[in-house]
Amino acid sequence: MGQNGELFKPDAMEEKGERARMASFIGAMAIADLVKSTLGPKGMDKILQSTGRGHSVTVTNDGATILKSLHVDNPAAKVLVDISKVQDDEVGDGTTSVVVLAGELLREAEKLVALKIHPMTIIAGYRMAAECARNALEAGVRNHKDDLERFRSDLVNIAMTTLSSKILSQDKVHFANLAVDAVLRLKGSSNMESIQIIKKCGGALKDSFLDEGFILDKKIGVGQPKRIENAKILVANTAMDTDKVKIYGARVRVDAMSKVAEIEAAEKIKMKNKVEKIVAHGINCFVNRQLIYNYPEELFADAGIMAIEHADFDGIERLALVTGGEITSTFNDPENVKLGHCKLIEEIMIGEDRLIHFSGVALGEACTIVLRGASSHVLDEAERSLHDALCVLVATVQDSRVIWGGGWPEFLMARRVEELGRKTPGKKSLAIDAFATALRAIPTTIADNAGLDSADLVSQLRAAHSEDGSRAGIDVISGEVGDMEKLGIYEAFKVKQAVLLSATEASEMILRVDEIIKCAPRQREDRM
Amino acid sequence: MAPAKTEKYVDTKRKDDIRHANMVAAKAVADAVRTSLGPRGMDKMLSTANGDVIITNDGATILDKMEVIQPAAKMLVELSKSQDIVAGDGTTTVVVLAGALLKQCLDLLGKGIHPTTISEALHKASEKAVEVIKSMAIPVELTDQEQLIKIASTSLNSKVVSQYSTLLAPLAVDAVLNVRDLDRPDSVDLRDIKVLRKLGGTVDDTELVKGLVFDHKASHTAGGPTRVENAKIGLIQFQISPPKTDIEQSVIVSDYTQMDRILKEERNYILGIIKKIRATGCNVLLIQKSILRDAVTDLSLHYLAKAKILVIKDVEREDIEFISKTLNCLPIANIEHFRTEKLGYADLVEEVPVGNGRVVKVTGIKDMGRTVSIIVRGSNALVLDEAARSLHDALCVIRCLVNQRYLIAGGGAPEIEVSRQLGIWSRSLHGMESYCVRAFADAMEVIPFTLAENAGLNPISIVTELRNRHANGEVNTGINVRKGQITNILEENVVQPLLVSTSALSLATECVRMILKIDDIVSTR
Repeated sequence: MGQNGELFKPDAMEEKGERARMASFIGAMAIADLVKSTLGPKGMDKILQSTGRGHSVTVTNDGATILKSLHVDNPAAKVLVDISKVQDDEVGDGTTSVVVLAGELLREAEKLVALKIHPMTIIAGYRMAAECARNALEAGVRNHKDDLERFRSDLVNIAMTTLSSKILSQDKVHFANLAVDAVLRLKGSSNMESIQIIKKCGGALKDSFLDEGFILDKKIGVGQPKRIENAKILVANTAMDTDKVKIYGARVRVDAMSKVAEIEAAEKIKMKNKVEKIVAHGINCFVNRQLIYNYPEELFADAGIMAIEHADFDGIERLALVTGGEITSTFNDPENVKLGHCKLIEEIMIGEDRLIHFSGVALGEACTIVLRGASSHVLDEAERSLHDALCVLVATVQDSRVIWGGGWPEFLMARRVEELGRKTPGKKSLAIDAFATALRAIPTTIADNAGLDSADLVSQLRAAHSEDGSRAGIDVISGEVGDMEKLGIYEAFKVKQAVLLSATEASEMILRVDEIIKCAPRQREDRM
Repeated sequence: MAPAKTEKYVDTKRKDDIRHANMVAAKAVADAVRTSLGPRGMDKMLSTANGDVIITNDGATILDKMEVIQPAAKMLVELSKSQDIVAGDGTTTVVVLAGALLKQCLDLLGKGIHPTTISEALHKASEKAVEVIKSMAIPVELTDQEQLIKIASTSLNSKVVSQYSTLLAPLAVDAVLNVRDLDRPDSVDLRDIKVLRKLGGTVDDTELVKGLVFDHKASHTAGGPTRVENAKIGLIQFQISPPKTDIEQSVIVSDYTQMDRILKEERNYILGIIKKIRATGCNVLLIQKSILRDAVTDLSLHYLAKAKILVIKDVEREDIEFISKTLNCLPIANIEHFRTEKLGYADLVEEVPVGNGRVVKVTGIKDMGRTVSIIVRGSNALVLDEAARSLHDALCVIRCLVNQRYLIAGGGAPEIEVSRQLGIWSRSLHGMESYCVRAFADAMEVIPFTLAENAGLNPISIVTELRNRHANGEVNTGINVRKGQITNILEENVVQPLLVSTSALSLATECVRMILKIDDIVSTR
């Protein structure tokens, strides 16, 4: 521990050279080991127990979620948490793989450092290896973009592969089709906003369904129509109570009760005028983000307009988007307001709750996935899983290249990388070999998590991959080496590539570190 | 050096320990409610943090009030809640079942079987089990009141209020069938049934009112009417009190004569409102509570009483929809809109004493909406609450039947049958799967076992005899707790909806599988 009193503040810490590198290695590997057991179709889940108020409990298998909620103090560990986050934002899946791969790369690097190989040499070797692995991966892709039928089946397979490591694994066929339908509705756009996920407790996971249209979890006002065909919708964010003078301390002085009554009546009239202006838009459905009070509600009911109050912000933004309307807050010129349209609005019941269903919306891409499940834990996890699958599918629709899964890409890459290692003279070849070993760690982990004999399986796979054009991968279900094409285990090229590149980059970054300076924590003022 | 995650070698010991701890904790929860299963099940007394005492037999309520903190144990509490949402009944069954499955899983893990293998086998077994139960189901017609009452009785029999099941069961059936929406024949919204709890009297006095009941008394302030025939009812959301504006205002009084004038104006203002109300012929007024200002003042109540208008004040905003649906009237938010067509009509509005309080009943409503009200009575608060909970369960049971019109035998018969058939099926399987399915089959026996145990019978002899009878093809034999022996349970009218059993099975399995898959507890922010 550096005691550099002159250079740094008293509480600052400094670690140098070997020690710093060691601290980074250990921190990063600990994080990788933590999420390692969640990898693969038979990965385990974690309970995340919040130490905050309520001790809320989350059960999850999603690497990004686990890492996001950890207390991490080690700077290197934080780098891994960050790459997992980036992976989540970029492609949505492979969040665990990326951390595990980075961890393995560092584990191998640690051994090389112990052999007195300079970190820069290791980095150079890793770079060459990563480049070679990427090329190998690219050579192994297949693209069915033009063949719609096969493209769809590719998508379903990818979704199933993603989902099989999640809670939805038992109903993966159902959910894979659901996710593919939802994504194909987007017609190539990557706007995930128009896919809405609603969670409702009760029922089983397989009762979940995809609904064309939009569902709003709100109530229709009393005495108003519960069903509207060919709806014209005005989406608004406006206060429906009396407009107040916003100057502080404004008050009126009167000298008679009747005048107070007059003012009250005037306020009422203002409300009424506002409602009349809204009605003048020729609408039959009015959705407001803020409260609609009793009086305007009654006026709307009289005009035969369905008024929905207190829709949350997210809700109205989405509603405006899918119905093609605009959120308005002034109502003076009806001509310039874009109204939303949909074919039918009606009340539906899901479980015990009543929801409002908008079908036949202007934006045909929009759809809602209603998730059902035993408890809120199940639902939350199901949402996370489905989100992953949707992200991957959206990524695949844009970049339609697919590869096989089940450890196949790792072995393919490892083989090419090894060949490169044999050709490369110098110490770099050691690093290249190490890279190949790290790549193989992913299938090893998958096999381990499934309770299979990983040493045996991995060596079998390695033998199988010595031939060109092999399609061998781990079939976790039967516990043997299987043909990935027949089993339909597909992955998106984009995901694998992102995993490879960001894991290499992260490990490179951590390897370069030779000094950690920790600033003195900011002094909190003593409030006691 | 940074005090980081320095745990370098993660061995599987820790994971096994955590899994074990989770399962033991969850099992402890299941054991806690085990004794309350079945018609002869015991009750629990719960003393809550703020000193209230609850006596109940309802699994969901017990677990809800236990305030467990262990994460896995919490999952069982959630499980019971989900069952409550899906089926409303069988909340104890589902937890006991999960406990038994966990016990079997512990054994299987001890044998070195991988958790995911167990998890998958359990899923297959539960699907098969649901199939078995479905094959036992008997279709039921909603027109068959007799049958429905029998089912409601089965649910009520395990509760404190079982001796009143002959009263409560038909009541529950009647209530649900009354609110059933003919446009949507497969669903029932239980919110259309308003359950009022009134202390005093006995459970015997519980009654179903085809009309509306208010838990408030009519206003007595100025000697207004408490009984109105041929009522014209107005539901108002405005206030009958001196005007108040949103903008801050002050009335300046400079001398004595002005004060008199202001008072007079105030009186005239209120009188004006009441005259308009009176002009429509309205003679019953329901007034929504207002937070901004007094909904009514003594003065306005006085004038209303003089106008012979019955007033019920402090109606909650949430209740407005229910009321307007029931009375077939529209809420009125402004005096200018007070028109005859917005009123509701009823033959009789009457204040009646119930126990130590008074309620207002509205009966003979013209074009009444599909709602009913039930007044539950009980001699003390504990009995009252439990009666209301039991009634809720019974209502849910009937609702299940509306959703899925099948019923199956009770008394442990389906469980034993599932256990037997899965046992046979497991022999045709290979490897670990067979072992796990066998374990699932064994776990199913916990229900009849516990039923017998709670009834003070010898569980081993009962369960073995049951197995025997089922093996001989008598699929509907179950434990007859009342007689203390094994009989054809269908003849004894111990029946339950199919949905309760199937959802209990699949939810319990889902929850156990989730617990199995957890290998670490990470504390987070």
